[in-house]
Amino acid sequence: MSKKVLVVDDDPDVRLFSVTVLEENGYLPLEAANGEEGLKMVKAEKPDLIILDVLMPRQSGIRLYREMKTDKALKDIPIIILSGIAKKTFLRSQKAMTEFGGKPVPEPEVYLEKPVEPEELAETIKKVMG
Amino acid sequence: MNKILLIDDEPDIVRVLGISLKADGYEVIPALSGAEGLEAFAREKPQIVITDIKMPGMDGIEVLGKIKDLDPDTEVIIITGHGDIDNTIEALKYGASDFINKPVRDEALSIALKRAREKLEIKQKLKEYTTDLEKKIEAATAELRRQTSFQTKLIRSSNDGIVATDQDLKVVIYNPGAQRIFGYSQSEVLYKMTVAQLFPAEIANPFRAARAGDSSIKDIAWQQTEILAKNGESIPVKFSGSILRENDIDMGTVAFFQDLREIKRLEKELLQAERLAAVGQTVAGLAHGIKNILHGLKGGSYLVDVGIKNNDTAKLTKGWAMVKRNIDRTSNLVMDLLSYSKEREPEYETCRPNEIAADVCELVQAKAQENDVTIIREFDDSIGEVIMDPRTIHEVLLNLMSNAVDACLFDEDTTKQWRVKLKTAREQDNIIRFEVEDNGAGMSEEIQHQLFTSFFSTKGHRGTGLGLMVSRKMIEEHQGTIEVQSQPGKGTVFTVRLPFQSADSQ
Repeated sequence: MSKKVLVVDDDPDVRLFSVTVLEENGYLPLEAANGEEGLKMVKAEKPDLIILDVLMPRQSGIRLYREMKTDKALKDIPIIILSGIAKKTFLRSQKAMTEFGGKPVPEPEVYLEKPVEPEELAETIKKVMG
Repeated sequence: MNKILLIDDEPDIVRVLGISLKADGYEVIPALSGAEGLEAFAREKPQIVITDIKMPGMDGIEVLGKIKDLDPDTEVIIITGHGDIDNTIEALKYGASDFINKPVRDEALSIALKRAREKLEIKQKLKEYTTDLEKKIEAATAELRRQTSFQTKLIRSSNDGIVATDQDLKVVIYNPGAQRIFGYSQSEVLYKMTVAQLFPAEIANPFRAARAGDSSIKDIAWQQTEILAKNGESIPVKFSGSILRENDIDMGTVAFFQDLREIKRLEKELLQAERLAAVGQTVAGLAHGIKNILHGLKGGSYLVDVGIKNNDTAKLTKGWAMVKRNIDRTSNLVMDLLSYSKEREPEYETCRPNEIAADVCELVQAKAQENDVTIIREFDDSIGEVIMDPRTIHEVLLNLMSNAVDACLFDEDTTKQWRVKLKTAREQDNIIRFEVEDNGAGMSEEIQHQLFTSFFSTKGHRGTGLGLMVSRKMIEEHQGTIEVQSQPGKGTVFTVRLPFQSADSQ
């Protein structure tokens, strides 16, 4: 059975791109347009991998990321962050949130900055899934 | 004051007077000749001397003279024979204090002594007073000297240039600060140049007018100007001056100069640094925006490739749409950039601001409804037809309103009832105030500071990062103002004020 990959991004273009890359490489893509929807899907579908944008309305990717990484049942699901913001900025925001009393969270498995080549995305997915 | 030297060649008189004086409480030093008297005087230093005038050897007049030589403050009472006018006059010349006639009576003696004591007291007081006065004058002189020296040092060490003149406008004070600015040495200026020679006409003229009798000129307030230094260099300075008058009489003038060369240089450097920083931020922001678009274009072309390869028309169509969308995004970015960098004159025409505001509400309605945001209109009906630039109003309000809706979308508190309010109000002095208020995510102070100045977006792929910069530019071109008030988690209010002309006046 093909593995399930959840794409969480508010930009439909980005979702469509990631979904196509996944389909072309034999995965079963799932889609969510924001963090809130994403968390529901994660709980309901138990995907094998998540491709996550960090800057989204409603519930941000940062929040979803932190919730997953501090949840025993979910923390082992690998996450690829695909974002328009630089990795440095993202890590700084994580540090700040930890200092504000949050639990420390591990760095994401992979952090990709947009734009990303389809081949690169496909290879990264393959590597993370093992 | 109780010692009395009593000189008489007749021992009986000395004894009798001595007893009488002792009874009055005096200490009596007896002497039976002028020579003995002088000796006793030198030893005992009495303040009062009573001496007979006629004595063998040294007579009373001579004794008087010598005693006055030794201590002019001594009171000398002369005992004279009856009718001895010549000697009396002689004694007066030498400074005798008083005379008693022989035979000496107690009353006459005690009156003479009383007068002598009074005189001595007065002298003493006078002496004390004089000494005190001298001390005071000395102290005052020292203080004056100290102050003068302090003021001289003050003037010399002042960083400001100080140039003072006498009433003929000739320079009498020219401190090192002035020397640094004007370049002339003190010896070239002091008592040689007048203000007309040292200062440019602009500065010298008020002084000359005051000198010519224009008493309305008193102080010349700080102003920026330029002076011409000795080497011909034009130096930017801040200048102020005063006409010095005492009891309506001209004493002279004083002028203060601050060298602005360093400040001007720093200002220039700061401006340059700010410009560079702005360019840097703009480039970084632009790169970010382009990166997002690039991602969309790459994604689109990948979809097209996949569509062609798999002969999948649906993919092909979606991919092509994606490419086109991102071409639109590119064009939006370029248009925003252009309208930001281009000078634009507002096109004033008759319009109805409330109608424009209503139109903007319509435009954002769909997006708001989709995301459970209520749009509230609160229009001031007294705003009718006015003359303004309708495009400025439309673009600014549309930008602020869609930002406000976005601020609700980005709010993480999903328990809120989101609302965005657009309010119009007519203010005094032909101003219309537009308020766009939301109860969305709000902004930290740091973000509020960046809003209008940098290429800035908190909205990821949605924003070009230029919206508020363009809005502010348009508002300023329309002679208006924009302000923001925001609290994280509570919401934001943008207030725009734009002037208008009444439509009936044309």
